[in-house]
Amino acid sequence: MNSANLGVAFWYKKQSDVSYYFALKEVNDSLLNENTRLKRQLAAATESDVLKDSSVIRKELVNDSVKSVQYAHYKYLQARVVNNSIQAASNFITINRGAKDGIEPNMALVSGTGIVGRVTNVSTHFATALSILNTKQSLSSKLKDGTSSFVYWEQAAGPDKLLMKITQPEIKIHKGDSVFTTSYSTLFPADMLIGTIQKVFIVKKDNSRLLHIKPATNFRNMDYVYAIKNEFIEERRRLEDTTQTQQALQKK
Amino acid sequence: MIQYAKYLIQFFLILLFQVIILNNIFLNWWVVPAGFPVFVPYIYPLFILLLPFELPVWALLILGFVCGSVMDTFMNTPGMHAFALVLIAYLRTNVLLALLPRNIKEYKQESPSIKSLGWSSFMIYTTFLILIHHSVFYIIELWSLNNIGYLMLKILASVITTILLIAVYLLLFSQRVSQR
Repeated sequence: MNSANLGVAFWYKKQSDVSYYFALKEVNDSLLNENTRLKRQLAAATESDVLKDSSVIRKELVNDSVKSVQYAHYKYLQARVVNNSIQAASNFITINRGAKDGIEPNMALVSGTGIVGRVTNVSTHFATALSILNTKQSLSSKLKDGTSSFVYWEQAAGPDKLLMKITQPEIKIHKGDSVFTTSYSTLFPADMLIGTIQKVFIVKKDNSRLLHIKPATNFRNMDYVYAIKNEFIEERRRLEDTTQTQQALQKK
Repeated sequence: MIQYAKYLIQFFLILLFQVIILNNIFLNWWVVPAGFPVFVPYIYPLFILLLPFELPVWALLILGFVCGSVMDTFMNTPGMHAFALVLIAYLRTNVLLALLPRNIKEYKQESPSIKSLGWSSFMIYTTFLILIHHSVFYIIELWSLNNIGYLMLKILASVITTILLIAVYLLLFSQRVSQR
């Protein structure tokens, strides 16, 4: 029993149809912002003047096949959030796309600005997703320089704060640095923005540092999200599992 | 049988109000201390509080479980609402026995309301049971005592908001005794 059930999701859909109308202006602005950001990225990637700027000569021929493997196996689907919670210990999001639209469990959910969560239950026309605002699962993350750790959340931290622990004392951390997802996670594509560092605390007990991260997504009002399907996830899992089993057998 | 239709309508009214309107308003009493808990006021226990006196305890327990399960389904929680609601459905009769001036058997075809209990007794009854419900629910939800201040603050803020909303509901939907 969860809110992907048709009878339950029906009421959430009705409610969201009404409240959606009042949010149209904000939706429009957020989509425009996102569009501008993507256009800027596209321009930087394609329309650089090679003759003027020698630093932009990229190894097109070498990278081409690599790039196609890196990016083409993520399939994006758009969905609208019909219900969302931020106050519980495990927060869930209901979206208006289901199995019929190609949503599957364990797909990643991202908003226009940052990551959102993981799809858990799917019905015919709806799906629920566990938001990253949950106390059960953490997410592997990295800093700009590649220092990897994990991002977790506590209920008392509230919806505008994620936590991250850095144990290496030699790493330099600045306020405002970005935190990204890693490729270790089979869920999210690598290098997606999680958030920016808001505050740095030193934990005296073990001399590690606790980072307060402001999530890039505004969980208080989400309108549109994208579900991401990793096409090669099965292949990767199978390979990794085989390797692990082989190692386990060799040890014996 | 017809008098029970009223409670069925009440059930849908309260649950829809809870699910469609209140669940989408994330209340922050104030924003300045950033750690102030975000909460949703849960007014759905009002359904159990307003059921008639003559209902036996087993019926209250079943209705409490049904109502709590519906909330659980809407909120994606594993049985936490059902647990808290069944608990107050059980405690309801004892609280009423302590508050009512006459024996509970003497109230035929009546339900706890401002008319039958009076404002002060009714508010004591409501506040006590809502406090138990919210405390149990939030303790189960947080399930740690590391942030006891946060827990206390959340229970307090949530109970006060809920009581205010219940008072508004009662003023809107109870039959006024005309005093002219």
